[in-house]
Amino acid sequence: MHSAVKKTLRYLSSFALIVTLNFALPRFMPGDPVKNLIGEDVYVSEAVMEEIRTELGLNRPLIEQFSAYLQGLLRFDLGYSYHLHSPVSEVLQARIGWTLLLVGVSVVLGAILGILLGAYAGWKPETKLNRGIYCGFIAISCTPPYFLALLFLGIFAFKLGLFPFKGFYDTPTIGSVAYHLFLPVSVLALFSASRNFLVMRGSVIQEKEQLYALYARAKGLYDTSILFRHVVKNASLPIITLLALDFGFLFSGALFIEIVFSLNGMGTLIYDAIIGKDYPLLQGAFLVIALSVLLANIFADLLYAAVDPRVRRPA
Amino acid sequence: MEWTKNRLLGIAALSLLFISGLFLVLSPSDEEGRVDFEASGSGGETAVGADAGINAGINAGINAGTDAGTDAGTDAGINAGTDAGSAETVSAGSEKVLKIATPNVIKSESLIGDYFLGIFAHLSNYPLMQLSETGKLEGRLADRYEVSEDHTEWTFYIKDDLYWSDGVKVSPEDVRFSVLCYAKIPTGRWINDTLESSAVSEADNSVTLKFNKPYTRINLEFATYMILPEHVWEKIENPAEYTSKGPYVGCGPYYLENIDLAAAHLIFRKNPYWQGKTPNFDVLEIDWYGSEDAACLALEKGDADTYHKYAASYPYASIERLEKTGTFNFVEKDSIGLCYLGITLNEAPRSDPLFREALAFAINYEEIIRLDTLGYGAVPNRGLVPPGMEYYKPTEKCSYAPEKARKILKDAGYADKNNNGILEDKSGKDICLQLMIRQDYERDAELLQEYFRAVGIDVKIENVDRNNYNDRKDSSGYELVFSRATPWGMLMHAGLGTGYFDYRRYGYIDDPEFTGLCDRLLNTTDPDSLKTASYALQDYYAEELPVIPIYWKKIVVPYNKKFEGWHYNNMDGIYNPETFLDLHEV
Repeated sequence: MHSAVKKTLRYLSSFALIVTLNFALPRFMPGDPVKNLIGEDVYVSEAVMEEIRTELGLNRPLIEQFSAYLQGLLRFDLGYSYHLHSPVSEVLQARIGWTLLLVGVSVVLGAILGILLGAYAGWKPETKLNRGIYCGFIAISCTPPYFLALLFLGIFAFKLGLFPFKGFYDTPTIGSVAYHLFLPVSVLALFSASRNFLVMRGSVIQEKEQLYALYARAKGLYDTSILFRHVVKNASLPIITLLALDFGFLFSGALFIEIVFSLNGMGTLIYDAIIGKDYPLLQGAFLVIALSVLLANIFADLLYAAVDPRVRRPA
Repeated sequence: MEWTKNRLLGIAALSLLFISGLFLVLSPSDEEGRVDFEASGSGGETAVGADAGINAGINAGINAGTDAGTDAGTDAGINAGTDAGSAETVSAGSEKVLKIATPNVIKSESLIGDYFLGIFAHLSNYPLMQLSETGKLEGRLADRYEVSEDHTEWTFYIKDDLYWSDGVKVSPEDVRFSVLCYAKIPTGRWINDTLESSAVSEADNSVTLKFNKPYTRINLEFATYMILPEHVWEKIENPAEYTSKGPYVGCGPYYLENIDLAAAHLIFRKNPYWQGKTPNFDVLEIDWYGSEDAACLALEKGDADTYHKYAASYPYASIERLEKTGTFNFVEKDSIGLCYLGITLNEAPRSDPLFREALAFAINYEEIIRLDTLGYGAVPNRGLVPPGMEYYKPTEKCSYAPEKARKILKDAGYADKNNNGILEDKSGKDICLQLMIRQDYERDAELLQEYFRAVGIDVKIENVDRNNYNDRKDSSGYELVFSRATPWGMLMHAGLGTGYFDYRRYGYIDDPEFTGLCDRLLNTTDPDSLKTASYALQDYYAEELPVIPIYWKKIVVPYNKKFEGWHYNNMDGIYNPETFLDLHEV
């Protein structure tokens, strides 16, 4: 069978598995969605609870609920959020945009910063500057995100008063959005950069010992040319995998940053949905994350093939 | 060459990602709701009189109403202040804005559906009743109420001088509409099940609700349901599921103009038709923060004038830092909320009153208060109920006496025969109690574990997630629980915390003496009978100790020294109309 067909089948079966898990996982969690919906310190009789369960379709057999979920998916209907009182697709649409902006920019900045500094640090690891940068990035990657975010908030917003404390904007203008996102993006970008830096540095240290690098030097190429035209190209392969994996993080992993900077993104949305047992919202959010990871992996597969001729070559 | 192509491909893909992000961000998300709203109405303005334009939709309704108010010339400043969607004008400079920081995050634009939004909206959409500063129930939208002798018929007389922010007078029809509206949502289903009929009298501006069974605490229940303008909300098919950024027509001194989830703020603006005392601030801005830490930093920086967290205090650990800024004073009040140790009574040794007595003497209340509340707490009475509650009876104070606890246990037959440091129960097994807690109470649990072990009772701590906790707490599926009672929780059911402990609700006490006392409280509105039964109930708590109060709490609310006129009640804290009507610059 053609490898493309094989890959397509693989991705389709992954998708089917994801859809099934999306439905099953929230229902395996302990707790009752109806009790969560009613809230603490509010009493309603068991009969009313049952009535609500019926309305939400939660007392139907699981197979019927699953079939309704699949039918909804085929109509691109992700259901209705119990807690947010809106169609899940609308809720996701409102949050995904902001999350793409926040985490997307951070991941790209983190990739650029991590790759460039990592390449330099790997090329000349013995210099004091590179050792300093290495220590700095190790420290960042070991710091809990909540703490680093609070530290940034404390220094740049509180002490220096340079940036605001919360929200995506005061007024919905590009300037205000950029001003508000500067701090959270910086924190996230630093985290992303620290991971990329460490991978890239290690990768470059390995690659620069290869014969092709020696050959390039023998040809009389400058250091920068050898590093960026030859070594970085080969050393960046693990970074592609890392970036593809970061797509899951893109939608869910910024939870702590969102909490500290009071941002209304996907991280807090998913967290609240888990706490509140909002099945439709959880299913919708997980589906979006899973799809984005799948797409990112497809993209990484293609990019791998484009970057590395060995992948294109038949076995 | 190939590598350059790949880079271009990557850049193009990422650009596409951001453009789609920007597109999603900048595309208005409330458009659909507004269209539905307008479509469901009569389509366009239906002017009522010269100065009270009422549109079909809520949004349009406010625009029309407030513009019309300006036309009528009733208030020269209305126009600037009431144009819809004018959140930007808040920062324009000429308006007086009061900023309130809160960690109560608004998660949806549903006025009825979002818990904290509903609480904040009590300022614009009054409930019928409220708690007074002295802890008594009094009218907010209602002027007064009457109840029939059999407690099935409640008549609320509506205040005569309240107007919605679109100029329409608040009517008893609005109350009836709202009550019927709440009957359809889960937390208001009891109305659906028990409301037999409702009648409105234009003559005396009243609404009468007749129930199919006696209710003695309807006045309390209606301190939590905001009243909605019928002429606006009747166009909405399912009010509980209606979401909009606002504006929402309100009848308080302020109406809710804008909910901006991305900016994390609510904007309340002066109601142009408010007939009472004129508020000093044009705009109230509620800024919510994702964490208490961020809210405290913002306050210290001067980004907010005060702090409000529903049923909770400003974090005790941050008070000193804020004090040092020299900018803030503090309202310090006794809360009617408290922390307690619940003990299920279904099995020995927990069912033994002497055993519970020993537990109560084993707790070092002073220490737990010092560590947990940094001194902003008080040693409670065995009668549980804090002094701020109506019908409080001073009972014996809880005290720390480990020796006494050991003696009680010994006299009651609990002995450590195998000398392993843990007492055995009557069947000869080591006593080991499971203490269930949720996050945030780890330290308290460890302290209790230490105190109980010191008198020979082993404790295992079960730290469970919120879902598990709620499930097990509501079904009494635990042995011990360390928990808190909120002010509303202390008032619900028959009051005095009974909602937490009566087995017919979410509790575990099925003793006929206790349930009988609850019934006595539930069956009367007569103050003398209420007082007698309340006193008896507090004596029951003190003698039987089915629950051990651990500490009473203080609520501390910081406010900018520039402003005076703060009022406090045990349900709304400082967030009540009296505060915003009295607040003024020093």
